[in-house]
Amino acid sequence: MLIRFITLVLFLLSIATSSLAQSDPKALIDQLGKADFKQAEELIGQIAATGDPRVVPALNAFAEGDLYARKSDGAVFITKAAGADFTLIDPLSGESAGEAPKGSMVKLRINNNLRRVIRSATGGLTLLSPDRAVRLQAADAVLRSPSAENLELVEAALSKETDGEVRARMQEARAVSILISERPVDQKRAAIETVASLGGRGAISILMSAAPSLDAALKPDVDAAIARIETTQAFWDMGQNVWYGLSLGSVLLLAAIGLAITFGVMGIINMAHGEMVMLGAYSTYVVQEVIRTSAPNLFDWSLAIALPVAFLVTAAVGLVIERGVIRFLYGRPLETLLATWGVSLILQQLVRSIFGPTNQEVGNPSWMSGAFQLGQMQITWNRLWIVAFSLSIFIGLLVLMKRSAFGLQMRAVTQNRRMASSMGIRTPWVDAFTFALGSGIAGIAGVALSQIDNVSPNLGQSYIIDSFMVVVFGGVGNLWGTLVGALSLGVLNKFLEPWTGAVLGKILVLVLIILFIQKRPRGLFALKGRAVEA
Amino acid sequence: MITSFVLRALEGRIVMAVAVLAAVALAVPASNLLLSPDSALHVPTYAVSLMGKYLCYALLALALDLVWGYCGILSLGHGAFFALGGYAMGMYLMRQIGSRGVYGNPVLPDFMVFLNWKELPWFWHGFDMFWFAMLMVLLVPGLLAFVFGWFAFRSRVNGVYLSIITQAMTYALMLAFFRNDMGFGGNNGLTDYKDILGFSVQADGTRAVLFALSALMLALCLVLASAITRSKFGKVLVGVRDAESRVRFLGFRVENIKLFTFVVSAMMAGIAGALFVPQVGIINPGEFAPANSIEVVVWTAVGGRGTLIGPIIGAVLVNGGKSFFTGAFPELWLYALGALFIGVTLFLPKGIVGTVQSGLAARRAMKAAARAEASGNDDRAPSQVQAAE
Amino acid sequence: MNFKARLGGAMLAAIMSTTAFHGAFAADDTIKIGVLHSLSGTMAISETTLKDAMLMLIDEQNKKGGVLGKKLEAVVVDPASDWPLFAEKARQLISQDKVAAVFGCWTSSSRKSVLPVFEELNSILFYPVQYEGEESSRNIIYTGAAPNQQAIPAVDYLMNTEGVERFVLEGTDYVYPQTTNKILKAYLMSKGIKAEDIMVNYTPFGFSDWQTEVSKIKAFGSAGKKTAVVSTINGDANVPFYKELANQGIKAEDIPVVAFSVGEEELAGLDTGPLVGHLAAWNYFQSVDTPVNAEFIKEWHAFTKNDKRVTNDPMEAAYIGFNAWVKAVEAAGTTDTDKVLDSIIGVSVPNLSGGYSTVMPNHHITKPVLIGEIQADGQFEIVQQTPAVVGDEWSDYLPDSKDLISDWRKPMSCGNFNVATGKCGGKGS
Repeated sequence: MLIRFITLVLFLLSIATSSLAQSDPKALIDQLGKADFKQAEELIGQIAATGDPRVVPALNAFAEGDLYARKSDGAVFITKAAGADFTLIDPLSGESAGEAPKGSMVKLRINNNLRRVIRSATGGLTLLSPDRAVRLQAADAVLRSPSAENLELVEAALSKETDGEVRARMQEARAVSILISERPVDQKRAAIETVASLGGRGAISILMSAAPSLDAALKPDVDAAIARIETTQAFWDMGQNVWYGLSLGSVLLLAAIGLAITFGVMGIINMAHGEMVMLGAYSTYVVQEVIRTSAPNLFDWSLAIALPVAFLVTAAVGLVIERGVIRFLYGRPLETLLATWGVSLILQQLVRSIFGPTNQEVGNPSWMSGAFQLGQMQITWNRLWIVAFSLSIFIGLLVLMKRSAFGLQMRAVTQNRRMASSMGIRTPWVDAFTFALGSGIAGIAGVALSQIDNVSPNLGQSYIIDSFMVVVFGGVGNLWGTLVGALSLGVLNKFLEPWTGAVLGKILVLVLIILFIQKRPRGLFALKGRAVEA
Repeated sequence: MITSFVLRALEGRIVMAVAVLAAVALAVPASNLLLSPDSALHVPTYAVSLMGKYLCYALLALALDLVWGYCGILSLGHGAFFALGGYAMGMYLMRQIGSRGVYGNPVLPDFMVFLNWKELPWFWHGFDMFWFAMLMVLLVPGLLAFVFGWFAFRSRVNGVYLSIITQAMTYALMLAFFRNDMGFGGNNGLTDYKDILGFSVQADGTRAVLFALSALMLALCLVLASAITRSKFGKVLVGVRDAESRVRFLGFRVENIKLFTFVVSAMMAGIAGALFVPQVGIINPGEFAPANSIEVVVWTAVGGRGTLIGPIIGAVLVNGGKSFFTGAFPELWLYALGALFIGVTLFLPKGIVGTVQSGLAARRAMKAAARAEASGNDDRAPSQVQAAE
Repeated sequence: MNFKARLGGAMLAAIMSTTAFHGAFAADDTIKIGVLHSLSGTMAISETTLKDAMLMLIDEQNKKGGVLGKKLEAVVVDPASDWPLFAEKARQLISQDKVAAVFGCWTSSSRKSVLPVFEELNSILFYPVQYEGEESSRNIIYTGAAPNQQAIPAVDYLMNTEGVERFVLEGTDYVYPQTTNKILKAYLMSKGIKAEDIMVNYTPFGFSDWQTEVSKIKAFGSAGKKTAVVSTINGDANVPFYKELANQGIKAEDIPVVAFSVGEEELAGLDTGPLVGHLAAWNYFQSVDTPVNAEFIKEWHAFTKNDKRVTNDPMEAAYIGFNAWVKAVEAAGTTDTDKVLDSIIGVSVPNLSGGYSTVMPNHHITKPVLIGEIQADGQFEIVQQTPAVVGDEWSDYLPDSKDLISDWRKPMSCGNFNVATGKCGGKGS
């Protein structure tokens, strides 16, 4: 009790006398254990003011939520989980300080504001790091949360920097810091130019936030710079929108392409198509779960492993459905709707019973996370992969249909069953495998969709209507139609969305499809010839 | 002429069905209102409104059967007409609440008040009058069907394409009605009704009357549908279903025939919706969901498409089953429902009524054949067999 | 013909037996409790958990000897995310199964759908989900948060702690977000935020392509003022939203997102690594460090036989509602609706965050507001906890409801008393 009282007094003293700037970083870090958010913010400033680069790991650990205080004596450690225990690491020396049970440690609380403060502080401290990557990161950190105090540090670092890219980044960081500093007007004017050359929304944001505190003489410069950025930004925004449209289109393509076979080629109104997509997504989940428990280092390969698994699972389910139900219904397309609707209800409930009704977590492998910058356009990796993936499925399927013996038989059977049968094609076999192929492709689409959407029993329901629209819009029985249909609907949707809002945009697209079908009752790429009437 | 039109409708089984409906319309309310709750024959109020709901669904299925069973138009958007009729009724009922809403605003419904609407949108005007609302119950679905059908049938959209765009229609309407800015109460829809024509919607008497009305309206529409299908027009209709091109070549304006039937059917669906709303007490955009429309198709198929009676039986059976299973086996009922759909399409392709009919016909044919054989009069038999089929 | 008559009769009999079915199980030595949560359809994803929670609570109570010396018996039905079916099932529970009280509903539409049924048949519904307010029924006890118990403290936190000056109000287009955003907008403007610094945006249910929306947020956030997103996005659309946020690199330090419908359950479908620091406002988090919560989590894991099942705010609301009902019934000595409704006002039961929740005369309860930051393990770190707040059914920030109050004690017994006119019944015509 007494000890606690004394530490409290000491602590209050240290806060009160912060102008005396305690220079022992260790003591400051230990004080973090008792501080509330406001006090912690002040302490971080003091820790950074020591200029001691050894505090960086501790601050980073604090931001990550890995800094813990020992309940018994209030000492603060960086921790790593080791089973039920923590491995304790001394926050300054980085040396191991033994282990402690989790229950004996209290986490230091952190919030967004503190994270920002830490980012800014560590940015200043690591500008002189010998590691190039760390310096680059530091320059970035200063750029993103500039403060006038960091300006001297940046300039000092800049004078020693030799690496071109890091230098450029530091120049930008310097410019941003100058804008909010007390530097003379001409320096600021140069800084405005540097910031403006950065381009993009970030630059606008920096200029606008600095604008109110700037000298009135600089106002025209800022306005001109912002106007310039906005002009180029408008152009990039257009490009970005096209990209969004293509990526939405490729999602539609993925969802619809299996249906283009079961519905488009075979004429089965396959309401269970969405559930095949869902089963594919659940296969991914199961594969990832197995990998997580048995071979975590394979995680980045999980999607590659899930692809064949999902294909086989859904193709097998498709085969069972075709043999068990659909083969009795050929020639009665509208009745396949009812039967497959029943199948879809059963599959949904089955998945719900097995996996529960809640969302399942499917992780992004590292190569599908994040984004990269293309000019002022930002392209996320997962969308890029999905576009590439859906196009490769499309091409693969096209080759299969046009160039393989199976594709030939498939087309023969769908165009004229009796003739094909007379030519010695085993039509039931072809039917079964065509349906299995369509289902399998829906399954691998599910693998891709699991990366951007919920994995829940309702997954399929959200895609089924869109899929039918795409196939009908593109023209039943034509793979090219499905491709063009999906991509154009995607782009159309994304161009409507900004000025009508997402809800109205979607309604308009539907209305346009309805009107389009009136004009061209058989879709974009209508099949011609006698087979159509059959 | 009209009498003959109606008389022709009254074929045996239709008469029977109408009689059953009339009996139900009388007996159920009577038992609910007159018998004491302890009596074994007493129908609780809960069951009255439940059965009233089934009857509305039955009317909807009947409407679908008229276009699907007789004209070959598989509409996956009939739920939209049903919901529009329901909304028209719902708007009337909302206006009847008057100042009894939670905010006590004499004109604006509650949902408009808390979204800060200052005045009634133009399309809400007139719905305080019962006759106007009833007119809209018929006109709004009818008009939508007319416009939609005018374009679709003229450009000869048919088969699967037609089914898919009707689905797109109901889906688009669902999204539109979900929008709060549309002024139809958004996701919550219209609810918390107080009274209809001055009678409390919660009173047992009102429920009984609504139930009886539903049964009678169903009977009336059944007679109408039967009259249509058994008239000369009906023969052409079946012709359109079975061989559209041939009928067209014979000089009939197929699109007009289809359009007429589609509009009549949509109006029936609208009536069903209007009767549905006061009995269940809510209408919201969920009714536009494409899945609902598919379910209507399923009821029709289960009962027997193209039989008029079949859809009614199908709707009542499936919904009765649904009510039972969702209470008794909440975790399992989707399996049962799914299996039912598969089973019916596989084993009863003509539906319950269709299968029973052909079964009876086959037995009659066999008997006739046996009789003919016994009497030694061979040349009558084939014609009878044919007639029976 | 005979066949048809028979068929008709059989149908009628089938319906009758449906309705009689439940009655047959009625036994006098049990008290029945209705559980009205969707187990199939779109809402099953959220509601199934609440059904399990209710079964657990009833089970626990029975182990303690039940209520009034009688065992409790749960009657579970599936309204299948279909709003008219909610009304039908509610009617069935009350008039056929004769349940003493019903625990259920999730969406506002389902509550609106059953409200007239509960008022007509005079039974009690415990509603465990946060909602838009603007309602106070004699027959409903609202144990979820009203907007002032969730939304307003959350934006206060953003303004005071994060220094946010610019707000994106992003929501799914339905009544809860619409109303909440109306209230928030009025509130923010009363705090001096300018209209051009507030962007309101709506998306459809189950929206999954967030690319444009997220880049819109980024653009809005680049006006040089600290920006935050207040999300009232509904369950299903959240996972793709957060995935897009993470991929487009929107960090909590730059543009924090505070959500009112994202809890532990929703995060279970996500890799939360890139989302650390985004916020949620609730009245309970699984990470609340109290003995009563630890006990509750332990029971939950034992009951579901799954150590990974998370607990969430609506479960706590169900817990509070159930215990309040038990206490009120014991105080009244009967399960009679009128008596229980009289005795439940003022009933105070422990909540899971270490305090007590009291049922107020407006049928809402008091609870603390917790702001939490998402952690890498899918849990929340509590960064702020307020003292208990009284649920405000009629928002002070909407022009038509600011004069209304609700008090279900006698002699007022009114859900929409107008303090300006001194009359019950809204504006009082």
